[in-house]
Amino acid sequence: MASTPTAADGGSTTSASPRARRGRRFRPVLLLNVLGVFVFVGLWAAATELGWVSPIFLPSPVAVAQEGQKLLSTGDLWIAVWASSKRVFLGFAAAGLVAVPLGILMGVWWPAKALLDPFVSLLRPLPSITWIPLTMLWLGIGESQKIMIVFMGSWIYILLYTIESTKRVDPMLIRAARNLGANDLAVMTNVVLPGALPGILAGLKVTLAISWSCVLSAEMIAAQTGLGAMIWMAKDWGNLPLVLLGMVCISITVLLADVAANWIERVLQPWERNKRD
Amino acid sequence: MSIVLSADKVTKVFMVGRGRAVTAVKELSLDVREGEFLCLLGASGCGKSTMINMFAGFTQPTSGQVLLHGKPITGIEPRCGMVFQSYALFPWKTVRANVEFGLKMQGKSAAERRVVAEGFINMVKLTGFEEHYPAELSGGMQQRVTLARILAANPEVLLMDEPFAALDAMTRQVMQEELLAIHDKNRKTTVFITHNIDEALTLSDRIVVLSARPGRVKAEIENRLPRPRHVAAQLKPEYLELKARVWSYVEEEIQRHDAAQRELEA
Repeated sequence: MASTPTAADGGSTTSASPRARRGRRFRPVLLLNVLGVFVFVGLWAAATELGWVSPIFLPSPVAVAQEGQKLLSTGDLWIAVWASSKRVFLGFAAAGLVAVPLGILMGVWWPAKALLDPFVSLLRPLPSITWIPLTMLWLGIGESQKIMIVFMGSWIYILLYTIESTKRVDPMLIRAARNLGANDLAVMTNVVLPGALPGILAGLKVTLAISWSCVLSAEMIAAQTGLGAMIWMAKDWGNLPLVLLGMVCISITVLLADVAANWIERVLQPWERNKRD
Repeated sequence: MSIVLSADKVTKVFMVGRGRAVTAVKELSLDVREGEFLCLLGASGCGKSTMINMFAGFTQPTSGQVLLHGKPITGIEPRCGMVFQSYALFPWKTVRANVEFGLKMQGKSAAERRVVAEGFINMVKLTGFEEHYPAELSGGMQQRVTLARILAANPEVLLMDEPFAALDAMTRQVMQEELLAIHDKNRKTTVFITHNIDEALTLSDRIVVLSARPGRVKAEIENRLPRPRHVAAQLKPEYLELKARVWSYVEEEIQRHDAAQRELEA
C-alpha cells in the first residue's frame, strides 16, 4: 500500500473500524432488555403468587417452569419441538425451491408474470388454514398434509417478495454489465441474482415466521405430535401451565430460527459488511 | 485523422406523460476523431446525456444515425465503454472482481484477468484495496474503480458522462490529472460530458458546445492550450481568453433556455 490514495480523496477507509464509525455514546441496550423481561416476569409472579389472579386464568411462571422441567426430563418437549420444526423446514424449503425460481422468472420475463398474475391474486388472500379440509381429503392427516399446509401458506409470500426484489434491481447496473460485454446469462448470474438476493432473503425471513404459524394451526386441528398439538391437548386436559409452556417454546424456537437466518444472510452477502452510509 | 464515432443528423424525441413529446436532441451531427479527447459542453437539459447514451447504444435515435467506424450502432455497444456519473459498480463484487468483469465477459483466463486487473488497479492508485467492496470506498475511489474497470475491458472509445460531477473540488482535480495522464499514455478516443467550462478547458483537445434544448451543435472549439493546464496555467491570458469565448456561447444558450422557460410558465 505504498501509494494509498486516501490523502487525495480526503477520507480514509481501512483505518475506520466499524466500531469507531458508530461513534455514538454507549447505550446499555442489553441491560434494558434484560431488565424489562425481569420486571415483567416479576409482576407476573407477584400477580399469581399473591392471588391477584386465579391460577385457572393465569398459571404462575413457577408452574410453567416446573412443567417445562418435567417435559424436559421425559424428553417430550424435544419431540414436540422437533416434530414441528421438521414440518416447517420441509414445507418452507419446498416453498422456497418452487417460489424463488418462479419469482425470478416472473420478475425478468413479463409473459410469465402476465400468465400467472391472476392465480397469484386469487391465492394470496387465502389463509393457509382454508387449505386444511382439502389437504386432509387429499393427503389424510399424516406428515405430508402438515407439510402441504406450510407450503401453501408460505410459497405465495416468497413468490411476491422474489418478484418485487428481482424487478427492483438497479437497471443502471444491468446497462453497465451489458456495456462490459455481458450476455443474458451473465447479466442474470452477475447482476440480477445478487442484486435481488437481499430482498429475497428478507422475504424468506418474514415468511419463515408465517410458516411457523401455518404448522401450528395445522397441528391444532389434526395432529398427535408437535407444539401446536401439545398446546391443543393441554387445553383439553385443562393444563394451563403446559399451554403457556408451549407458547414460550414456540417463541424461542422461531427466535432461534431467525438468528440462524440472520447468520445465513451475513454469510451469503459479504458485501454488506462495513457498509459506509 | 480518421473518424471513429459520429452522429449523423440525430434527433431524439422522448414521450413524457400522455402524448407530450420532448425533443432532447435535434438534427445533431458530430464527428469524433481517433485518439482525441472531446468534451461535450452544455447546461443541464441540453441533451448531452441523451447523446452519449445513444453513442453507448443504450437508446436509439428517433431519426438519423449514430455510427461507429461508419456502421450504425443498434444495440448496447461494448466497444464504446461507458463511465457513469453514479459509478454503477457491482456492490457484491470486490474491487478486483469489478475490474476483472469485462475481461471475464471476453472469456479471458483467470490468470490473465488477474494480471491485467492488477495493472489497472495500480494505474488508478488503488493497490491494496483489491479485496474491498465498493461500499467500503469513498466516492473518488469508487470512480477510480469504474475507470479501471472500463480501461481493463479495453473498449475502443471511452464515453464519460459527467464522471466527476459528484466529487468534491479537490478530488475532482486529482481525478482530472490522472485521467489526462492515462489518456496521454493510451490515446484512447474519449467523449467526455461536462457542464463545467474549466473542466472542459483543462481536459479537452476539442470542445463542442451544445445548445439548450433541443440539443444541437452550437460551436466547435479547438483547444490548443499547452499542457499541463492546472492552477497556474488557468491564470494565463490565453486560458482566460478561451474561457471567455466558450462562456459567451454557453451564456447565450442559458439565456435562451431561461427565456423559453419563462415563456412556458407564463
